[in-house]
Amino acid sequence: MTFTPQKRPLKSPTGISKFLLVFPGIVFFTFLATVGAGLLGTWLPSLGYLPAMGKTALTLHPWTELFKHPALGGAVRSTLISGWGIALGAFLLSGLLFAMNYGSRTWRVMEKMLAPILSVPHAAFAIGLSFLISPGGWLVRMVSPELTGFDLPPDWVIPKDPHGISLMIALILKETPFLILVMAGALQQIDYSATMAVGRSLGYRPAQVRLKIILPQLFPHMRLSLYAVIAYSLSVVDMSMILGPTTPPTLPVLVVQWFNDPMPDARLMGAAGATLLLGMVLGSLFLAYLLEKAATALFKWRMANGKRETLLSPMAPVGRTLLMGGMTVFILAMVILVLWSFTWRWQFPDILPERWSFRFWEKSIHALGPPMVKTLLIGLASTIAGLVLTIGCLEYESTLLEPHAANRYKKYMSIIYLPLLLPQVAFIFGVQMMLTWFHLDASATGLVWSHLIFVLPYLFLTLGSTYRSFDRRIMTTATLLSGSPMKAFLKVKLPMLLRPILFSFAVGFSVSVAQYIPTLFIGAGRFSTITTEVVALAGGSDRRVAAVYALYQQLIPMGIYLLAIFVPKLMFMNRKLMQR
Amino acid sequence: MPLELKQVQITRRGEALFAPVSLNISPGETATVMGASGCGKSTLLSAICGSLSRGFTLRGEILLKGRAINAIPMERRNIGILFQDDLLFPHMSIGSNLAFALPAGMVRHQREKKVTHALNQAGLEGFEDRDPATLSGGQRARVSLLRTLLANPGALLLDEPFSRLDQGLKGQIRAFLFAQVKKMNIPALLVTHDPGDMAEGPLIDLTTHR
Repeated sequence: MTFTPQKRPLKSPTGISKFLLVFPGIVFFTFLATVGAGLLGTWLPSLGYLPAMGKTALTLHPWTELFKHPALGGAVRSTLISGWGIALGAFLLSGLLFAMNYGSRTWRVMEKMLAPILSVPHAAFAIGLSFLISPGGWLVRMVSPELTGFDLPPDWVIPKDPHGISLMIALILKETPFLILVMAGALQQIDYSATMAVGRSLGYRPAQVRLKIILPQLFPHMRLSLYAVIAYSLSVVDMSMILGPTTPPTLPVLVVQWFNDPMPDARLMGAAGATLLLGMVLGSLFLAYLLEKAATALFKWRMANGKRETLLSPMAPVGRTLLMGGMTVFILAMVILVLWSFTWRWQFPDILPERWSFRFWEKSIHALGPPMVKTLLIGLASTIAGLVLTIGCLEYESTLLEPHAANRYKKYMSIIYLPLLLPQVAFIFGVQMMLTWFHLDASATGLVWSHLIFVLPYLFLTLGSTYRSFDRRIMTTATLLSGSPMKAFLKVKLPMLLRPILFSFAVGFSVSVAQYIPTLFIGAGRFSTITTEVVALAGGSDRRVAAVYALYQQLIPMGIYLLAIFVPKLMFMNRKLMQR
Repeated sequence: MPLELKQVQITRRGEALFAPVSLNISPGETATVMGASGCGKSTLLSAICGSLSRGFTLRGEILLKGRAINAIPMERRNIGILFQDDLLFPHMSIGSNLAFALPAGMVRHQREKKVTHALNQAGLEGFEDRDPATLSGGQRARVSLLRTLLANPGALLLDEPFSRLDQGLKGQIRAFLFAQVKKMNIPALLVTHDPGDMAEGPLIDLTTHR
């Protein structure tokens, strides 16, 4: 064996750092420009300025029209009630379930189901759920006519009930698993078993230790995600169109209707409505901040009051039931879609279809080809571009050895989370206006860009902590051995991080697949993806077609998740440490 | 009120970590279990306090005040434990950390008085509202010990509690700890790999012990 001396001198770390600065530079300024222009491009029309439609006079007219509109009051009310109901419900439920049931068998089963549950797009879940809970839905069929005496579906206003209860339940079911996933991630930041041992040796029941000691330490790591849930719940469009109230609909749906109105004045009013929604979201986030402060002050003393017993421990069976129930709903919502997709004739109140058929799947292959290809291409393009940018930014961050500099950098980069904290309809109209100036409206580039803005924050959220905790000494060793930081990065770091990178890819991809508002606005109707088709069909009368489309929407991200799990397993089959 | 181990052994997948251990620790006395890392000494401590992980099996009997505690859940065993990390709760003030260990049922004023008394006794006057993050290593170690003792444990387990402290502090904290054990008159069991940590009571070396 011979020892070959290093051929090339090592590149200086500052040189690499300067090169990597390109990535955060691109991300920071394009996010700033897009969100800034998007907001401005919505605010100006709300003040009457929309040159593209010949409106140049500055006036408060759109706002007075907005406040005079008969639908506004009801829309604002149902938006606030359902939005806050969802956020509070999901937050309390995830916290209490964690305190009551963490570590139990039911919890471990649920943890295994988190990824598939989270991969279900909102629209597909909404359709499945409406097939379950509607008056002619599966749940009523299961007990009819034996228990109910119904020979015809009852005339209940479910879903789309005027108070938004169906919408609220659906989104609580969807957002609670998300918060639980965030919690599980935050849990890795603290020494759970030692903290548990200290708390229990002081005489506290496990549920009480989790409530008083663990959860308060997790909360700071969950704050951003909780704010995102609040913003999302107040501004959701696709799910609200399927399950939400109709006369009037929630504010974001109303705004989309106005934006799609051919009359310029309606669009100006839409811009004002979108800005009002922005105000409601920002106000709600501020209120959440105040509530946190108040709760901290209120519970500061109570946390240390020495009470060891709690209602939570005897309530563990309730938590288990809720967990099982939640999982069952997701499974049933999927099963009912499968049933309807193979149905030819299914009369009320039969539990199963009378005649089966493959016809709607056969037909769909023909009709769904183009939207499917578009969905996959847009998803691939935006997620791959997003991953390159994300890894570039994180790699630059890893060159900042000084904690002070790293913190300042992270503060600047938090701008990428803005798209999650603002209502989509509050700035996507403005983004559309901006793209018109560059002649990129209704172009594939513009559409990929608009998806990227929503994909990137999720890539950062899912990849960030693993990437940051990568042992620096491995890179030092690899660089010294190979003589090239690039080789060390490509041959050592990337393969070692393949699993989290692919998982992050799957998350980003399913975010792109599920995008409705950007596709609708930036695509300007020229790009129909599986999601726009699903939302359009959800309102139609044929459950069989809607079921087939919803299943397509659900199967794409699920397939990608499966790949993300099994590809690293196969690649590192004989490497035990790479398996977990 | 002694702590007794009778033929205690821990197995994993049928394999014993060490030969059966028998120990009798009298109140006020600190016994030492020595051993190289990986010999199972920390696992022995988790068996005694009741936090043995899944996959481990405990054989033999553990008695506190003459009562077998093998099957009692951890929070009912009345055994205090100190780790090498102080594990102060970062979201609570020093005062709340200590009040957390006090039994429920006292009015707020009483609790505050007890906390202040404990702090004064440890040379930490006026630390009630301090953030744990602002304390030095030695101060944190003392608060952590005070917290364990305020819960009024029937026995104390020490899992290498000095290994993160520098030489000067070590002696100080050791003396403080053994004095408290004597004063409260409870049995204590210290686990360490460092012969310098040894207490005066009975000694078992798990590495050579057969």
